[in-house]
This record gives sequence, structure tokens and C-alpha cells, in this order.
Amino acid sequence: MAEPVITLRHFFERARAGQLTGVRCRKCGELAIPPKELCPACYERAWEPVPLGGEGTIASYTVIRVAPRAFMADAPYAVAAVKLTEGVSILGRIVDIPLERLAVGLPVRFRPIVRNSQTAIGFGPA
Amino acid sequence: MRRVALVGAGVSKFGVRKATYRDLVWEAGKACFDSVPGVKPKDLDGLVVGSVMPERTAFQSHISSMVAEALGIRPSALSARTEHMCASGTVGIRYAYAFIAAGLADLVMVLGVEKLNQPVADEAVLNMGTGVDREWEAAFGLTAPPCFAFAAQRHMAEYGTTEEQLAMVGVKNHTHAAKNPSAHFTKGATLDQVLGSRMIASPLRLFMCSPITDGAAAVVLASETRARALTDTPVWIRGTGQALDGFQLSSLHEDYAHWPALKRAAQAAYQMAAVGPHEIDLAEVHDCFSIAELIAYEELGFCHKGEAGPFVAEGRSDYGGDVVVNPRGGLIGCGHPLGATGVAQAAEVFVQLRGEAGARQVPAAALALTHNNSGMGEHVVMIYGKEPA
Ligand SMILES: [Zn+2]
Repeated sequence: MAEPVITLRHFFERARAGQLTGVRCRKCGELAIPPKELCPACYERAWEPVPLGGEGTIASYTVIRVAPRAFMADAPYAVAAVKLTEGVSILGRIVDIPLERLAVGLPVRFRPIVRNSQTAIGFGPA
Repeated sequence: MRRVALVGAGVSKFGVRKATYRDLVWEAGKACFDSVPGVKPKDLDGLVVGSVMPERTAFQSHISSMVAEALGIRPSALSARTEHMCASGTVGIRYAYAFIAAGLADLVMVLGVEKLNQPVADEAVLNMGTGVDREWEAAFGLTAPPCFAFAAQRHMAEYGTTEEQLAMVGVKNHTHAAKNPSAHFTKGATLDQVLGSRMIASPLRLFMCSPITDGAAAVVLASETRARALTDTPVWIRGTGQALDGFQLSSLHEDYAHWPALKRAAQAAYQMAAVGPHEIDLAEVHDCFSIAELIAYEELGFCHKGEAGPFVAEGRSDYGGDVVVNPRGGLIGCGHPLGATGVAQAAEVFVQLRGEAGARQVPAAALALTHNNSGMGEHVVMIYGKEPA
């Protein structure tokens, strides 16, 4: 089976450089993020990478106060599902927004969270 | 298809147990055999075991054969293990049902078991994390409470559902559990206690969440002929449905307050049973978090979309209301030993529809529903009746 057009490693390398990337189906135009094996709309495997603008609104969120051990030092911290302008959603950590200002519908913008060798998806003020 | 009924049921004590995985199997298995004196282990021709992570928690795989040996069962028609995260137990009941309905087996035990608490407490949390997508979701530090918190925030934003209404689910289920000696929690809880409990992932507080629990439950399913020979009061399987929308959170509709897969699973079960939601006397729903019970009221059709908050606040899901939801105390009060939960729901329905539920008996119970999920987009629904049709 062919390598996916965009792998996890590539996704995070691009994210680290500040670029959020999805995949678009060349057969039917479906947009997906994170990268998937098959197109959920037409079942073809004909992905091409597409850069995303990184802007969106909070679809939902929560402030985590009791966290798994690896994240305990960060608590309280917020995670959100963000609906991007292009229509797809992705999870991310909230940065630089006061926790009490969080709300469904709040506009946010992608920013990478880089810690040592790890890159995570973050969203800050729009 | 042949008719199928429950003829026996039993549960272990749920809680933080010193018992081993095998001890829990024995406790529930014995309680189940004790409930149906006409059935000896050698009479069963099938066994299905619902269990999620014994490889991690008991360092044991090859589970169905281990349980068969522990209980003296020699399957001749069906032996299997089901793993479907939190819905493993009900998924196992559906397998046994299908085999018997098809004429491939006559008398099958379904046993659910989980030993989640570990000497190192962190291990239990880490183990539970295997249920979410490792590469995309666990990597964010995402565990079950934040996922369901997304649903709660969304429901509050769309429908004005309040923290008090979320807390009332916790109060109701803790109060019910106080009448269930097998429950993890048996002290009850007041609204102040629930609202004052520790915040886990906003708006979900500790007493709105199911705990990490050890436990086991078992039921015996029989063909109509065998059921009528074994008991005067079998509990009939009337309908079943299952539907899935996706594994990753991002595969779901981004409006987490709507669970279309639950609606589809329920419709399939209602249609098969030829009954409607307003005929259900009691429901065991999957209240892993209080928001899940509220959304279940709506998707199961007990109330209109968006009206679940007032529905619980007005007592319509409690004794004396429209439908008694979670009379045994639910996952919040009884605990949630993954594979055991769906089987324990069926065991509760078994005693309720036979009028043997004692202090927590739902008056004149004739039709019951169970709902088990393994995520917001994956649901299983069963309908049981006192009468076969
Ligand atoms: Zn396509």
C-alpha cells in the first residue's frame, strides 16, 4: 500500500513550522484532518496535502483540573475542539486566553506548542 | 428467529476490591447460578465473556477459556470474548442472543468482568487511556472526562442546561445506589455535596463522574423452550440495536450535544420490539458522566431534544415520574467496571421485571431498556419485557 500523502510525522513537522495541514481528496474534494486512510466520502485513496488557514471557532471546550500524570504540572489547562473556517474540526490546547473567557463560538487561531522535541496543536486568541 | 429470554442473573460486589480478577469471576458466576437452581454449569452450551483489558490489569489473556474452567462450564456451541471498550458486556449479550435466536445454541452464560484498580493508582488512569485514539487524542492528555465535558459545555451553550441539572443526575443515582448493596457507593449524596465536589473537567465534578471500579456480573440466556422449562418468570429480549458514527472525537459531528448513533440504535430496538419510548417503565442508561444520562433521555425519546435538564429537575426520570432511570444507581453510583457494566444493567432489568428488586423495585415494571456506550458515537440498546411480545 502506498504511503499516505501526509504522515503524522509530516503533519507535526509542518505544524511545528506554524502551518496547519489537512488532506483533500482528488476524486471528490472531501477535506479531512487528521490524515485518514481512506476518503470517508468516496472511499478512494487519493489524498493531496492542503494548507489550512488556522482560523476557527470553539465548537466545545473544557478546563481540565485533574490530569494524567504527564500533564499534571500544567493543570488547570483548557482543551478545545475547534471548527476551522474550512469546515473541519481538530482538537487543541488553549494558550494565552484566560480560562474564564472561554466560550462556545469564541474565535481562535492555530499556534504550535513546541516543547523540547514535541509539537502539539494549540489555539490562541484570533 | 427463536425467542430468547434471561433466566438467571447475578452480580459481584462492585468497588475497590482486594479480590483478584478470577475471584470476581467466581463471585458473579456463583450468584448467577444461585438465581436459577435448574441450571448447572454442565447444562450450559455457551459462554461469552465481556472484558476490556485483562491483559493489562490481570496479565491474563485467553479469557473465555479461563472463565469456563473457573466456573466448570464446557461450551459445546459457543465460546468467545467480546471487547468493545465500555460496551463489551452488552455486545456479548447480543452475540449470545443471536446464537440462540438462530438455533445455534440453547443456554448461554454472558459474564462481564474487570479488575481496574491497581496497586499503583496511576496505572489505572493510563490503562483507561487506551480507549481513545493513541496518536491523535491520548497525545493531548485527553481522557474520558474531557470528551464528555465537551458534550456538557455544548449542551449548556445550546439549551441552557445548568450545573444544577447536571448535578441532579449525580444526586439521583447516588441516592438510588444507597439502596443497592452491590453498588460501589452506598451513602447517597445531596445537591450541595455534588456541587461542592472536586472539579475534574469543567463542568463535570467528581460526583457527576463514574469511578474506577472492580466488579463482575453474569446472566444466563435461554431459548424459549429451555426458558419455559427453567422458570415461570423469564425476562424476554424484545429488541436490540447498535450503531456507530466514529472512533476519533474529530470524526463525530462537532455538535457533541447530539448523538445521532444513539438515536439510530434506539430506533432499531424500538422497531424490533414494536414499542415506543413512552411505554418503557425503567431504563438502565450509560451515565459514565451525568451529561451522558441527560443526552440519553433525549436520544432515547423520553423527552424532546434540549429538554433533558428540566426532565431530571422535575423528577420525571425518578420513581413516580415518566420512567425510572438507573434504579440500581447507574455507573455513577455502582461504578463502571467496563466489561461488567452492560451485563450488570441486564441483571438489574432481570430482577426488576420479575418484581424481585426489593427496596428499589419499580412498581408494575413490565418493559425495560438498557443503553451501553463506548464513546459518544458508539451505542448499544436492548429492550426487555415481562411478556414475550
Ligand atoms: Zn473522496
